[in-house]
Amino acid sequence: MSNIKPIADLSYRNYDGPLKKPGSRWWVIAKNGIRIALKKMALWGLMFVSAWYYLVMLVVLFFVQQITSSNPAGAQAMKAFMERLVWPDQFLHGFSYAQLPMLIIALMLGAGSIANDNRANAMLVYLSKPCDKREYLFGKWIGIALPILVIMVVPTIIFYAYGALTFREYGFLKDAWLLPKMLVIIPIAAIFHASIVVGISSMFNQARNASATYAGIYFITNFFTLLMGGIWASSRGETPFPVKHLFYASIDGVLIGACKAIIGTKGSAPFGIQSQGGMSQVPAPAVVPILGVALLISVVFVLIAWRKIRAVEVIG
Amino acid sequence: MTAVGFVSYAGELSGMPPAEALRRAHEVLEYCGLGEARYRNVETYSTGMKQRIKLAQALVHGPKLLLLDEPTNGLDPRGREEMLDLVRSVSHGRGVNVIVSSHLLPDIERVCDRVIVVIKGKLRTAGTIKDLKKLAGQPADVELREPNVAFANMLMEKGLTVTPPKGNIYRVQSELPPEELLRVVQRTALESGAQVRGFETAVRTLEEVFLEALTA
Repeated sequence: MSNIKPIADLSYRNYDGPLKKPGSRWWVIAKNGIRIALKKMALWGLMFVSAWYYLVMLVVLFFVQQITSSNPAGAQAMKAFMERLVWPDQFLHGFSYAQLPMLIIALMLGAGSIANDNRANAMLVYLSKPCDKREYLFGKWIGIALPILVIMVVPTIIFYAYGALTFREYGFLKDAWLLPKMLVIIPIAAIFHASIVVGISSMFNQARNASATYAGIYFITNFFTLLMGGIWASSRGETPFPVKHLFYASIDGVLIGACKAIIGTKGSAPFGIQSQGGMSQVPAPAVVPILGVALLISVVFVLIAWRKIRAVEVIG
Repeated sequence: MTAVGFVSYAGELSGMPPAEALRRAHEVLEYCGLGEARYRNVETYSTGMKQRIKLAQALVHGPKLLLLDEPTNGLDPRGREEMLDLVRSVSHGRGVNVIVSSHLLPDIERVCDRVIVVIKGKLRTAGTIKDLKKLAGQPADVELREPNVAFANMLMEKGLTVTPPKGNIYRVQSELPPEELLRVVQRTALESGAQVRGFETAVRTLEEVFLEALTA
C-alpha cells in the first residue's frame, strides 16, 4: 500500500470567517497572560499566603467570640480585646503583610511577560498582527495588574463582610468609608506592582534577570526602610524630620504610606497586641505627595517599557 | 505554550473569535506538517519546526498578503526543501500573495515568479524572473563534445557573434530566431565535424541580475 493518503483534506484553505476590528487585542494578550499564570500551582498557594493576616485574624476573632460567649465572664474579656483592636489598622496590616507575597506574585506574573517575548523574538509576531505597541503594553500590564487586584480585593472583602456582620457593636462600621478607601488603595498597589514589573521585564530577555532586578530593588529599599523605622522606634518618635518620611522610601513603604494616608491611620501593633512606639506606628505621610510618588514611579516604569518595546531590533 | 495554543493565540490576535481560531489552528498546523507535534511545547521544537510554526501563525487568519523574511534561515537542506515547497504551495493558486525577503537567490528562484531588488530603500529593478534573466538579442549557448576552433570560425564567417568558449560552451548571438539559429548551428557543426551536445537559449543567473542591479 504505497499510495496511502489521508482521508481528510489537508490542503490549505483560506479563512473567510469573521474578524474583529482592531482595538480589543489588549484583552487577548491580558487573557493569555492570566491563563498561563493560573496554570502555575505556586500562584494558588501564594494567593492564600498573601491573605495570611486576614486568615489568622478571622480564626482569632472567631475563637475569641466562641470562647467568650460560652463563658459568663467572657463579655468583659471580649470588650477588652475589642477595645485594643483598631479596625482600620487590621486592613492596614492585611495590606502590609500581603506586600511580600505580592512581590513574588508580581514576579511570577510579570517578570517574563515581556522578557520572554524579547528572548523568543516574539515582538515581531505581536506587532505584525493588527495590534499596536500601545495595545501590546496595555495587555501585558492588565494581565499582571488584574490578578494582583483580585488577589488583594477578595480577602479584604471577605474580612470586611465578616467584621460588618459580626462586630458592628464593637465599632466595626464606625468608618463607613473604610471599604471604599481600601478599594481605592488596592488598585493603586496593583498598578504600582504591575507598572514596575512590566518596566523591568522590558529591559531584559531573561525572566530570571528581571526577577532578580525587581527583587533586588525591593529588598535593598526595604532594608533602608527598616533602618529608618528602627531609628524612629528607638528614638520614640523624636528623630529629625526626614527619618519618618524616609521610612516610606521603598516599594513596600510607598504602598504602606499610601494606605495609611488614605484610610487615615498611623498604625498600631498587629493582632491587637498592646505596644507603644513600634515601627508600624510611624506617622502617615500626606496623601497627595505619597500618591504622587507612587504615580510617578509607575509612569516612569511604564515609559521605560514603552521605549524598550520595538518590533524591529535596531543594530548600531 | 503548546503549538496549537500559540497558533490559536495568534489567530485571536488577528481578530478571530476564540473557537474559530482554535479550529483553524489545528487546520494550519496540519497543513504546515506539524499535526503530530501540535500538542508539544513550542520551546521543545527544532529550528525547522519553529520556522514552520511561524508560517502557521502567519497563515491562521487567512491573510491575502504574506511577508516572509528569510523563511529558510537556519534550516538543514531537507527542511529548506520542505519549507520552500510549503511557501510555493501557499503562493500558487491559494489566493495568498507572498513576498519573500531573502539573500538566498536559489530560494527566490524556486519559489517566486517576480523579483524586486531594493537597495538602501530604493527600487533598483523589478520584473518576472523569466524576463529579468533574458539576455538582449537572445543568444544561445552551444555545448560541444570538445572545443572546436573551426566551428567557431565558421559561425563567425556566417555573420554570427561567438564569444570565447567557457569550457566546451560557446555563446552564439545573432538576429535570427532561435529555431533558425539552431539550424545554422547544426549545419555548421556538420561542416566542421563538431559534436553538439547541447543547445539552449542563454540566460543570466539571478545572481548576475542582482549584481547588475547593485552596480547600476
